[in-house]
Amino acid sequence: MIKIKAKDVDVFYGKKQALFNISLDIEENQVTALIGPSGCGKSTFLRCLNRMNDVIDICSVKGEILINDFNINDKSCDVVRLREKIGMVFQKPNPFPKTLYENVSYGPTIHGMAQSKQEMDEIVETSLKKAALWEEVKDRLHEPGTGLSGGQQQRLCIARAISVRPEVILMDEPCSALDPIATAQIEELIDELKKEHTIIIVTHSMAQAARVSQNTGFFHLGQLIEHGSTDKIFKNPDNKKTQDYITGRFG
Amino acid sequence: MYSDTFGAVPIFAGTFFIAFIAMCVAIPIGLMSGIYLAEYASTKVRQYAKPLIEILAGIPTVVYGFFAALTVGPFLKELGTSMGLEVSAESALAAGGVMGIMIIPFISSLSDDVITSVPQSLRDGSYAMGATKSETIKRVIFPAALPGIVGSILLGVSRAIGETMIVVMASGLAANLTLNPLESTSTITAQIVVILIGDQAFGDPKTQAAFALGMSLFLVTLCLNIVALRVVKKYREKYE
Amino acid sequence: MNKNKEQLLNKRYKAEQRFRLYGLSAIFMALLFLTIFIFKIFSTGYSAFQKTWLVVPVTFDAELMMLDQNPSKEDLQDADYYDIALKSMADLDPKANEDQENELKRMVSYFFEKEIKNELLNDPNLIGKTKEVYLTASDDLDQVFKGNYPRDLPEDQRRVSDYQLKIFDQLVANGKVESKFNISFFTNADSREAELAGIASSFMGSIFSILVCLMIAFPVAVLAAIYLEEFAPKNRFTDFIEVNINNLAAVPSIVFGLLGLGVLLAIFQLPRSTPLVGGITLSLMTLPTIIIAARASLKAVPPSIREAALAMGASRMQTTMHHTVPLSMPGTLSGTIIGLAQALGETAPLILIGMVAFVNTIPGSPMDPAASLPVQIYIWAESAERGFVEKVSACIMVLLGFLIIMNLFAQIIRHKFEKKWS
Repeated sequence: MIKIKAKDVDVFYGKKQALFNISLDIEENQVTALIGPSGCGKSTFLRCLNRMNDVIDICSVKGEILINDFNINDKSCDVVRLREKIGMVFQKPNPFPKTLYENVSYGPTIHGMAQSKQEMDEIVETSLKKAALWEEVKDRLHEPGTGLSGGQQQRLCIARAISVRPEVILMDEPCSALDPIATAQIEELIDELKKEHTIIIVTHSMAQAARVSQNTGFFHLGQLIEHGSTDKIFKNPDNKKTQDYITGRFG
Repeated sequence: MYSDTFGAVPIFAGTFFIAFIAMCVAIPIGLMSGIYLAEYASTKVRQYAKPLIEILAGIPTVVYGFFAALTVGPFLKELGTSMGLEVSAESALAAGGVMGIMIIPFISSLSDDVITSVPQSLRDGSYAMGATKSETIKRVIFPAALPGIVGSILLGVSRAIGETMIVVMASGLAANLTLNPLESTSTITAQIVVILIGDQAFGDPKTQAAFALGMSLFLVTLCLNIVALRVVKKYREKYE
Repeated sequence: MNKNKEQLLNKRYKAEQRFRLYGLSAIFMALLFLTIFIFKIFSTGYSAFQKTWLVVPVTFDAELMMLDQNPSKEDLQDADYYDIALKSMADLDPKANEDQENELKRMVSYFFEKEIKNELLNDPNLIGKTKEVYLTASDDLDQVFKGNYPRDLPEDQRRVSDYQLKIFDQLVANGKVESKFNISFFTNADSREAELAGIASSFMGSIFSILVCLMIAFPVAVLAAIYLEEFAPKNRFTDFIEVNINNLAAVPSIVFGLLGLGVLLAIFQLPRSTPLVGGITLSLMTLPTIIIAARASLKAVPPSIREAALAMGASRMQTTMHHTVPLSMPGTLSGTIIGLAQALGETAPLILIGMVAFVNTIPGSPMDPAASLPVQIYIWAESAERGFVEKVSACIMVLLGFLIIMNLFAQIIRHKFEKKWS
């Protein structure tokens, strides 16, 4: 099942074009990894999927991105509703300067998803459990979220993202600021999460892409060079550039 | 007025009362302008609106005093009369209101700075959750920037308490113990001016009373400033 | 469920719009205040730059002036002009009785005798002839002519009588009332008569105060900043000083006035009401502003410059004086100008050290009693006469003009000369 269908997406920062003609299909309930050297446009593409590029004044996006057959670049698309369905986890953990509980209950509160305190408690608990953080923090839910370690903070951000039960989760190099142990925990979590969510992860680590993803897209200089199943991309790529990148000749 | 005693209670009460009125004007307008400038305004609007608002801080206080006494006071009096209220031409409301206008830029500029220094990653985090801009501001940015904003408000209060000319010219000089903004009250600063405006002997008890008032004014504002500067400094360190 | 969602979303978007509107209206309010403010000042003040003159025929009758044939310059100086002055005013209405003659006299300023005298001193040949002389109208008639005077008040509440108004209207009808640029507003000292009052004395007072302030505050502040930034060890004592400089910048100005009064006047016995004391008091206030600006611009000079100079074998003193300080000057100067602009607008401390005294001479040195522009605003604002209202506004316009120029100047220095380190 195709969840997201990007057709001829161009992105401009002012006059400079950052993405050229990207067309990519993303499968439901699978992990798709976007790899490529830094500055190749993979994060830019990721931010197109929940229209986070709107925040940047000079950025403009052309082309169609269909999610559930609905073009999110259409004028009738409501970004608030879109972002409720598409969660995002950032490169650097960015918990709000509030308590753990408030961090997780933030999304459900603004979207009016809980009718009572009890329901909210449940949502917070399940989200933290799914993010594999519950056991570590259940006794200090009302302490500030900024007091956690880096890996815990990132898992808190994942709990925050899944609290509104998004269909898609975008992850922008979620492990780049973390140590190997925390990275392993998050990778395990990603595997778990794909049962309920479609996951797209940007990573600069090819090993990570190989470990967690089923599909991979390779970006280079703003172009999507090749995409397909992770197995194929890593073992038998069609394109010479992909081959060179995978084997570490540049990047 | 000071026949036997130099009771300072009405003067202190009046000082805080007028400062309170001033902050009632300055905090909402200053804070909302700061927020708008930092979060909503386009670069162009910001480029023009910010320096224009800051002009308000550069106008000498004696000019505000004249404005309050000549325009605002009589205007309020007329307005009050037409509504059947008795408004003194030298009301605490006129002095406090105009003082509030003077303090707007202090609060707006400082809170603008403070809000701008909240890291973008927090905004992104909130937008990615599907929050609207105002929800992001109210629930994420404002709490994050709160210490800095409190600091800027405290600096504003200290300025309101130390302000002299507006009160001397626009509010009364009689120290009334009142909480009615339509009556006239007096402040520490105004009393100092009233006592010392003539040639006074230095040994005179009134002169000494004025110096005592000045001393307490100094201490009160000093405490406010120390607290405010410390709060702002702590806040800055947090996001550097 | 879906409908609920829709409703909630609508509510959220409405809240968003409301919040945005609050912000916009706050900006709008602040700018509205500014506009009202400037409009009010200009609309009441611009007329003060015009002065109303009555053109009155004066007959220089030698007999009335008690002058001999062929009088010398001294004779002209000493002659008695009061009678011809009175007579020329009385002649405006030949049917006037004694009371009315008095009223006629009060249509012009008390200075009219002098104005007639100057006319003759300029042209001694006028003796025995009649000439139309420009006489300063009284402040009330000045206001009538400018349309600021409520003519429909009952007569006993006006300072202008019906009779004066009648004669004045006749003069207007005959084209004998003229409005000219008010030079005396800039050249006269303060006066109890609104039509003669000018800002020259307070202007000079301000200039002297600012100069004294500059001469004290600038060197002290720059040296303090250099020491703190370049030489001082980082310890608790310098930390303490640093915190207190910041605190000092936020101390109410009136406290500095008390300091001036209690120390400069009471202990050092410096002369009261003088720009010297005013300037010293203001310099205490300006110090922290300049120190903070100077330190910021010293800090902005990149360490690589210092290292380069030190590596060339320059001493620390040489490095500072030859490289760091010159490079930091634009920032320091613009901070100084902004500090001086603040000092120029300051009123309360000057009132306390007595610069509020009535001064009707133009001060020639910082040791002469004087007022300053803001204090002049305060003095005039407290006067009851209607004529002073426009004077206050005009004085405010002059003061604001100076502040704008100073701030622009500071901006220009900052943008033109400040090096951008990347």
